[in-house]
Formats: sequence, C-alpha cells, structure tokens
Amino acid sequence: MLRYIALRSLVALFLVWVVVTVVFLLLHLIPGDPAELLLSTGNIAADPAAVAALREKMGLNEPLWQQYLSHMAGVLSGDLGASFRDGASVSGQIAQRLPRTLEVILAAALIATGIGVPLGSYAAVRADGKADAAISFFASAALSTPVFVVGSVVILIFAQQLKWLPAGGFVDFSDDPLEHLKLLLLPAGTVALALLAVIIRMSRASVLEVLQRDYVRTARAKGLSRGPILRRHVVRNALIPVLTVLGLEMGTLIGGTVLVEFVFNWPGLSGYLVSAVDARDYPEVVGIVMTISVLFVFLNLVVDVVNALLDPRISLVTS
Amino acid sequence: MTTRLNRRGFLATTGAAGALSFLGPKVLRAQEDGTLRFGLSTYPPSFDAWASNGTAAGTVKVMCHRGLLSYDAEGALRGELAESWDVDDDGVWTFNLRDAKWHDGSPVTAEDVAWTITEVQKPDSAAYLQNQLATITSVETPDDKTVVLMTSEPQAVLPEWFANYNMPILKKGSARDDLMGAGPFKVESIDRGVSITVSANPDYYKEGLPKVERIEAIVYADENLRIAALEAGDVDVVEYVPWQAMAQVGDNPALKLDTTFGPFMYLTFNASKPPFDNPLVRRAVGHAIKREDIAAAAFYERGAPLEHLPIPDASAFFNPEFANEWNYDPEKAKALLAEAGYADGFDCTMLSTAQYGMHQSTAEVCQAYLSMIGINVTLDLPEWSTRVKKGNEGTYDLAVMGTAAANNDPDGLATVIDGSLASAYSRSYGLETPEISELFAKGRTIFDTEERKAVYKELEKVAIETAPIMGLCWREQGYGMAANVEGFANLPGQLTFHSGITLEDAMLG
Repeated sequence: MLRYIALRSLVALFLVWVVVTVVFLLLHLIPGDPAELLLSTGNIAADPAAVAALREKMGLNEPLWQQYLSHMAGVLSGDLGASFRDGASVSGQIAQRLPRTLEVILAAALIATGIGVPLGSYAAVRADGKADAAISFFASAALSTPVFVVGSVVILIFAQQLKWLPAGGFVDFSDDPLEHLKLLLLPAGTVALALLAVIIRMSRASVLEVLQRDYVRTARAKGLSRGPILRRHVVRNALIPVLTVLGLEMGTLIGGTVLVEFVFNWPGLSGYLVSAVDARDYPEVVGIVMTISVLFVFLNLVVDVVNALLDPRISLVTS
Repeated sequence: MTTRLNRRGFLATTGAAGALSFLGPKVLRAQEDGTLRFGLSTYPPSFDAWASNGTAAGTVKVMCHRGLLSYDAEGALRGELAESWDVDDDGVWTFNLRDAKWHDGSPVTAEDVAWTITEVQKPDSAAYLQNQLATITSVETPDDKTVVLMTSEPQAVLPEWFANYNMPILKKGSARDDLMGAGPFKVESIDRGVSITVSANPDYYKEGLPKVERIEAIVYADENLRIAALEAGDVDVVEYVPWQAMAQVGDNPALKLDTTFGPFMYLTFNASKPPFDNPLVRRAVGHAIKREDIAAAAFYERGAPLEHLPIPDASAFFNPEFANEWNYDPEKAKALLAEAGYADGFDCTMLSTAQYGMHQSTAEVCQAYLSMIGINVTLDLPEWSTRVKKGNEGTYDLAVMGTAAANNDPDGLATVIDGSLASAYSRSYGLETPEISELFAKGRTIFDTEERKAVYKELEKVAIETAPIMGLCWREQGYGMAANVEGFANLPGQLTFHSGITLEDAMLG
C-alpha cells in the first residue's frame, strides 16, 4: 500500500511540475508585456525608458531559461514570489483566497449531495415512471445550461426582482456571519446545479444496480418493508461510487468556479486568476495554477487510494 | 518521505489558511446611514499617486489625496491645497498654500510641494505628467506657504497640470503608493482585489466636509453585476454604466443616471508605410464611414458623430466651420482614394479588441463601410493587453481607439495627435506633423484666450488636412446612483474621470 502511494505521489509531483513549466512558457510566449501594461493604463502611453527600467526591475530582461530556473528555485524553497502589480506576496494571496474558493465548492457539494442523492434514488426506485422522466430531464437541463446563464438568471430573480439576497460580493464570516452566508448562497447554488446533474445520474444508476443484487432480494423475501431496505442496504452501498465521482468532480470544480466567482464577485482564487492573466502578472498566474494543479492531483490521489482500500480488486501495483 | 512531507505541509497550509479566514480581524460594522458604497469597475492596478493607473485608481486617489488645484462640478479650476495662484508677466507662477494637514496631523508645507514636483520631474519617474513638469526649471519656497515656479518658456496650461488627479501632492519622503495624503478621507482597510474602505478625515481643510462618515469602494468587474448591485441596493453609486443599461437605469424611479459627452472613439493610422502614410487615404477613410451607425451599434444611441478634432461644441475653442469637415461622403472618399492612386482599393488590417464590446462593434461598423469604397479590412481583435502592445509597436494598419483627453483645454489633445511624442497606442504610429507639434508648443506659451483660440483654430485646420487621427464618435460616460444620493456629480466633458473629486460633497438623503 505504502509503495503504491509513494509511486502515485511521485507521478503526481511530476504532473505538477509539467503543468507549472507549460504555464510558465505559455505565459512568456503570448504577447503582452507586464511592465508596459502596468505603465499604460488609462489610455496613456507608457514611456519606453520607464518600461525598460521596470522590466529590468521585474527581471524580465534575463534570458527565459534563467527566469525559469530562478522561479523554480523560488518555488522549491517555498517562495512563490511577489505580484508584479503591487508587490503583494503571492503565497499570502493564495492563503487568503483559496479557502474562499474551497468554501464555495464544499457548500456546493453539500447542497448537491443533499438534494441529488435522494432525487437520484427516488428516480431509480420509480424507474421508467413519470417522476423518473421528470428528474432525468431536470438533470440534463442542469448539466447543459452554462454557468453564467444560471448565474445571471438567479441574480435577476433573487437580487434584482425579489431583493431577497445581495447580487454579489463578499463579507468575511468573522465580520458578519449572516451576511456571509447570504452572499455564499447564490454562487454555491449555481455551482451546485452543475454538480447536481452528475450526482443525480450517478445515484440513479448506482441504486438501480444495487436493487438487482441478491441480498436485496433476500431482504425482501424476509419480509422487510421497502423503506428500511433502501436506507440500510441499498443507498449505503450505492453511495460508494457516488462519493468517488464527487471526489473527482471537486477537482474539476476548482477550475469551474472561475466564471461563478466572476459573475458573483466572489473574491476567491480562480476568479483572481483571470485578473492576473489580464495583467500578465506572471508570478501570480504561475502560483495560482500551481496551487490548483496540486489540489487537483492530490484529490485524484486520495480518490485512487480510497478506492484501492475499499475495493481489493484494484491492483495496487499495476494501476 | 517527500510525499508525506508534502502532504503534511499541504494540509498544514490549507488548514492554517482555513483557520485564517475565520479568524479575521473583527471590524465594527458602520451604521448604514453614514456609509456610501461605491461600485468600482475594476480593482486599481496600483495606488501610485503620480502614475496614470485608470479611472478606478483615480477615484480612490481623489478620496485620499489633494493636489494644488482641482475642478468644481462645472469643470472650472478651483484651489485645493493652494488657496490662490497667480502668474506674472514673465510667466512665473506663484501658489499660496492654505493651512492644511496631512492625515498624520503634520502641516502641509511648501517643502512638500517642492519635493513632489522634484520627484515627478525625474526622467525615470514614469509619472503621467513627467514630460510637462520637466519644463519647470526652478521651484522656490520663500516661506512655508509659498511656492514659486519658473518654466523654460511661459506655460499657460500649468494650472491644469496641478488640477489633474494624477498630480496629488504627497508629504515629503512618502512612498508613491501610500494613500496617506491631505484629502477628505483616510484609508481604513483594504481587501486586495475586493474593496477599499475609507473614513472621513476630521482635519480636512474644508469646513463641514466630507459629508459621509465612510466610503466603501467595492469592485464589480462584471458590468452587468455592477448594475444588478445598484438595482438590488447593494451599492449607492456605480461608475462606468454600460451603454446598454443606461436607459434601464435612467427609467428606474429608484435610481438616477448622470451622463456627459466627453470620451470619444477614433481611428489611429500606421503612417510608417503605405497606404496610410498618405493623408489623402486617411481622409478617404473619414469620408467613408457613417458615424451614426457606430453610435447606434456600439453605444445604443448614446453616442454622437465626431467629424472633426475632438473639441466639444461647448468649448470656447470649438470651431463651427470645421464641425463636419470629415463628414460621411462615399463619393468624395472614392475620389480621394483615386487621387492617391488606389482607385481599386487595397487590403489592410484593423486592430481593435474583443475584450470591450464597444471597441469591437466600432471596428465592425468601420470594416463594413470601408469595404464599400474598396478597402478590404481584416479585423484583428486580441484581448486588451495584446492590443496595447501591438498599438505601441505599430503592428497594425488601422486601429480603433477610445479615450478622453487630459482636460478640457485643447492642449489636452496633444496625447492623441502630437506625433513628436514617443510612440504610443493612443496616437497614430510614425505620423509626425511638425506644424501640429509647433502649434501645440506655441499655444502653451500664450496666456490670452483670444490669441490661443487663433492658434488652435490653425492647428485644427492643419489636422483636418493631414488627418493625424480620424474622429468617429463621442460617447456618453455615465455614473448611476440611488435616488437618495446628493452632491455627487459627473464632471463635464473630458473631466468625467475626475468626478471622484465630488465625493467630498456626496451624501445620502
């Protein structure tokens, strides 16, 4: 087991390195000069001498391989550098923003599981009936509606028309817990909707499969009524694949929250990536992408290990 | 081994980070009535006092800083840190300072002003007004309250420089991005990328101002959300009302819309190579485009045709005889092309950006009209950063641009049409018109308005002939606010981005 984990971790580390390298190179390949951008806002031309001086200060005049090596050396020593824009520490920014993004994702996962598992199970029990059709249709619709459409619609309904919730923004939980939760509701709900579709389909398929099993038939033969059978035998066993999928989806969601954070003005990490790319803030972009990729491969690793532990059929060496 | 460390380190950092978000400093929440919430269009890229860092940064800077002068709600110059100012017959300017205090309680002195000017003048300062202030040859401080400025030649527009929001006075020795100033508000807290909260400065030199206890400037980068937030009552004022939402804000009884015509759209040319090195071709482009369609397509009818240099008709320097010199006249356009030797037209690229809808729509309309006179335009629509770089480097034939001049004085147009200045994306590339540069220089040395009018009239005449840029349309620039907001005003014309100066008068009725 340990050998398996060690091997998988090495592969994971290698993947992270590849991602960071590719992002670093891509950033330098696309046009747009951070120094020039910083100095030429407000439609005013940047003075070439000032741009040259700033490039020198940013270390952009070094050969690319040298920039890469010094950046990597920094990363290895745990220093992600400072923002080109205002010198803020990149790791400090990430520490502040990552929890906010994770919070949206976790809240979305809770909402999606809380609604998705019962709905999916119900659809399976009533397979091929009207309720099943309705739930499956809802799942398809939820899956195929773009996140920014959902976002704009819920803002229109709940903030602009009904005025129940703020349109977007952020307040620290410690400042005003209630307001914080109010602000969390719409973005988390929007992310949850996309996730909900996956959970419903997965639960439905999984419950259907378990219902065919021998032990369910045995339980029925023993005269157990349907409620306890579902609760005790079916759903519990059906949940394992659902949780696996949920784990994998969480990784995808870190990238998937970019638009949601933008639409709802939620100051998390992924939305911030957009503004960092816009400003060609190299240290910030590399730092954020690295954090997201570490999280992603780490989640995948955890899911694999948990699966390997749960299911002895998964070979530990060859997988 | 490495993995374990990594995972542990990872868990430790995320754990710590998670804890951090819940253990943030306790901030007492202000009473709702004393706080004005202002929706910014972007988080300021920096708070550098003297750099041109955009509208949002400018708005935050004028909350905390003051210059020697500023503009009132009508756009007239008024004193700020300088109580009065004066120029003698030799063009020597004298500024008399009022009793004002920095946020830290120390007095604002002539020495601070002199230090600020010296810092901005440095060749590598990258300050917005570095070129202009470089013409100041000596700064004298006969006493704590007097500053005397001498320039290499007389400078009639010097007060305008010191009224610009990118020219605040800082306390001697301050860091350039320090928001510790002498303005009506002090920084209370900054949540990077999210919001900036400032509170009233009790020592502000204007009696009874500011009127609100606190301003919370919250960033809404998405324009639709900015309007949604205004409609939902999350914010009291928003900048940069998107054109498609202006009618919706104006018609809403709970809201007010305050717009001004000031910023403008125009075309720049790459004159370093044919065909746009020929003024006949540049003028042909001007006669080929129907401006009303740009106003309709890009600005939802919130624009007005611009067929001359961007001098508004309300300006004392407006020349009615040139008002329609670049009018829509396809026959004339074709004749000019033929005269230039391009009777069959030609192919070229037009640079704009897909990042801002108005820039893209403007380019698309121009493309359609130019095709009618045989000019086949290929659009190049990268995101804004790339567009800036290509504009500075001259990697284009034609380009769409939108801006506001530095101020309402015609001298403010130098950044747009003075080809003797360094290459820049706000100007045509490789297009020097010595006569225009000379007339700008001459206009700055004359103090008499009537005499200056003659100079700028001559300048516009030359520009109409040579087309250093091609005007397309004026655009309305708007602030939206809740109906109960009083005192905040959109400054007229090119000064619209200075409007933050009126936040000291703003209050919630």
